[in-house]
Amino acid sequence: MKALGRFFKDINRNKALLLMVLPATVWFLLFSYLPMLGAVISFKEYRIHGGFLSSFIHSRWVGFDNFKFLFSTDDAYTITRNTLLYNIVFIFIGLVLAVAMAVILSEIANKKLAKWYQTGMFMPYFLSWVIVSYFVYSFLSFDRGVINKIALGLGMDPQQWYSEPKYWPFIIIVVFLWKSLGYNSVVYLAAIMGIDKSLYEAAMIDGANKWQQIRNVTLPMLTPLMTILTLLAIGRIFYADFGLFYQVPRDSGTLYSVTNVIDTYVYRGLKTTGEIGMSTAAGLYQSFVGFVLVITSNYIVRRFNKDNALF
Amino acid sequence: MGITRKKAAIGLTSAMAAMLLLSACGSNGGNNGNTAANNNTSSSGNAGGNNAAEPVELNWYTIGTPQKDVDKVMEAVSAYTKDKIGATVKMTMIDWGDYNQKMQVLTASGADMDIMFTAAWAFDYVQNARKGAFAPIDDLLTQYGKGITDTLNPAFLSGSKVDGKNYGVPANKELPVSEVWRFNKNILDQNKLSITDVRSLESLEPLLKTVKQNNPDVTPLQVDKNFTPYIPYDYLIEKFPLAVKLGDTGYKIVNVFETPEMKQALETMHKYYQAGYIPTEAATLESSSDVQATGKWFADKATTQPFADNVWSTSYGYPIVSTPMSDALIYNSSVMGSMQAISANSKHKEKAMEFLNLLNTDPVLRNMVDSGIEGTHYKKTDGDYMENLPESKNYDMPTFALGNIMITYLNPGDPADKWEQFKKYNDAGKPAALLGFNFDPTKVSSEIAAVQNAKESFWAPLMTGTVDPDKYLPQAIKKLNDAGLGKILTEAQTQLDAWKATQAK
Repeated sequence: MKALGRFFKDINRNKALLLMVLPATVWFLLFSYLPMLGAVISFKEYRIHGGFLSSFIHSRWVGFDNFKFLFSTDDAYTITRNTLLYNIVFIFIGLVLAVAMAVILSEIANKKLAKWYQTGMFMPYFLSWVIVSYFVYSFLSFDRGVINKIALGLGMDPQQWYSEPKYWPFIIIVVFLWKSLGYNSVVYLAAIMGIDKSLYEAAMIDGANKWQQIRNVTLPMLTPLMTILTLLAIGRIFYADFGLFYQVPRDSGTLYSVTNVIDTYVYRGLKTTGEIGMSTAAGLYQSFVGFVLVITSNYIVRRFNKDNALF
Repeated sequence: MGITRKKAAIGLTSAMAAMLLLSACGSNGGNNGNTAANNNTSSSGNAGGNNAAEPVELNWYTIGTPQKDVDKVMEAVSAYTKDKIGATVKMTMIDWGDYNQKMQVLTASGADMDIMFTAAWAFDYVQNARKGAFAPIDDLLTQYGKGITDTLNPAFLSGSKVDGKNYGVPANKELPVSEVWRFNKNILDQNKLSITDVRSLESLEPLLKTVKQNNPDVTPLQVDKNFTPYIPYDYLIEKFPLAVKLGDTGYKIVNVFETPEMKQALETMHKYYQAGYIPTEAATLESSSDVQATGKWFADKATTQPFADNVWSTSYGYPIVSTPMSDALIYNSSVMGSMQAISANSKHKEKAMEFLNLLNTDPVLRNMVDSGIEGTHYKKTDGDYMENLPESKNYDMPTFALGNIMITYLNPGDPADKWEQFKKYNDAGKPAALLGFNFDPTKVSSEIAAVQNAKESFWAPLMTGTVDPDKYLPQAIKKLNDAGLGKILTEAQTQLDAWKATQAK
């Protein structure tokens, strides 16, 4: 009874704060926690039988059968390798470039110009992959592409870009960075803006030059944010950006060895049969690996620096 | 630390409690809304008073770009059907590209639907029938659908049975499928070429060569990533490499890539590709609509129906002629080209069938659904002819997807015996090898997923002639077998043999 009284008193005292977290809580419960129950479908052969709940209950258990298609061929190796390697490269190059850009932007004396650059870098983030794929196509098209036109002008042979796998790891990475860099650097730029100016003043009094200030003030202050964002990115390391790997290479079959990732594999495999159980299984597998990786890397971070860890 | 954690826990619980309350309110509100709606329909039904029973509302989901005037037209349709069968209609249109996915979610979640569009190419009829999305309609057809069985060519209903039962009402339309070579007549005439001797892929060569020489800016053979050369086989699943040879009485399923016909076709395609007859980027080209708009092409492959040349010429704005490359045959995909199914969850299955019966037999209703309200969207001219009015831009429907097309009014320029010609064309069609057999992939669904991936990686490059079949065909066959094509083939052959035994032909 007493506990209940305390509980209501607590609510009353914190009602402003609680009200503020309410929308986010509701959102997470509805769209993140509630759907988690659906993961059970990955062990079932989903068949329609009345409404969703009764279909769910009546569908047959099939154990791990729904996971088989992910591992049954040597494509399993290709898609796992592609997904992991691309994401690792994205995380690290993305981090380095975003921080570098943020530092550069913060050091530009003319604030108006800085805003201008920032907006320019930010714009691609809002484009959908379909539009980006046409941008890329206008560069790489065989007979009308900019690059082949230049190559011809220089007396070189035009390339069939969409059937040459060897160029694509590079193209994919460049396109990804072009699209995401602006957004990520803004996050770091905001963090830099939040650094106490007196730290820089103290450094200047000690005679530190610009480079020393960046190395000894800016970067250490950014480390917690960098760690947290990287940890979060590692949690999604088994998810590939579908549009980047499907739309940008124009679904070209000859490029699959370097563009097929888990998400595109699942899409191609299930678009004819539409087995809900199998697509759920793929999603569960991705989140499970992501979960394990986050826990492990968080554990490692904790070993080095407890304050930088997520939890 | 301890205190903050406790506080956080309390915060979370209270938020959850609030959330529960909210959701409870939400569902209550929903219920109230429903009852209110029900009251409304019932009261309006009583006010109408023409029918003894209260009219039921049928939810109809169909494919096509959503039109502005759908609700307006459905009001008129409802007024008509309320008197005739005591039902009103609410139509929801879902755009072409979204239809598959949205319908899959809607059926999986058990949404309230009565009638829905389904076909071999959109919201797959056979698979969804097997998954339990549709109600079997055999009894409903005999009881309420006599008009349908009377008007349809029997091949439609017998060919669209799934495991011995019917789950959808096929639209009465062209029945056999025939592949043709289409030609841009301007370029044909300019080069004084004749198409009378053209039939096989190989027979095209001299024409392509002339065009390549005389019109360097024209694509001699327009091919995109969806192209497959014609071979005399009936595919088990569309764009999946298993098929039975036409005329094979042993019904032996083969991998099409291992057939001499496919090998020859791919070699010819590669020869044409190297000669520059085919667009360089054919293997990644989504569609041919750009080049069709400019008219800078000479020949391509298409599926025909009666008077198709006229339709193509009108829509492209320049004359098109065609000549067949195959016989007109009735395939599974052609009897399942456009169907209306009744949802397994529908509460008004009988009324839905009564409505479908009326839709397929009553010209007034059918044309209202197709062209809108007379005087607003279209006007009638002489006899069965009609003309669109400017308002028709707000109600532009895909005719073939909404039931019997042979009772729709004729467009200006159509021959008066248009539907007679369609009937003749249908009667002349011969069944293809696998008509009526539908492969059930449940037991091999993981192999199918793997084979799909293997297949997609080389399908378009091989089919468009982009790569050399001598080098890539053996690789492709190996990759398919590694992914488990053999197991699918064995399973399919078992099912086909069992089916053949029941057919006793």
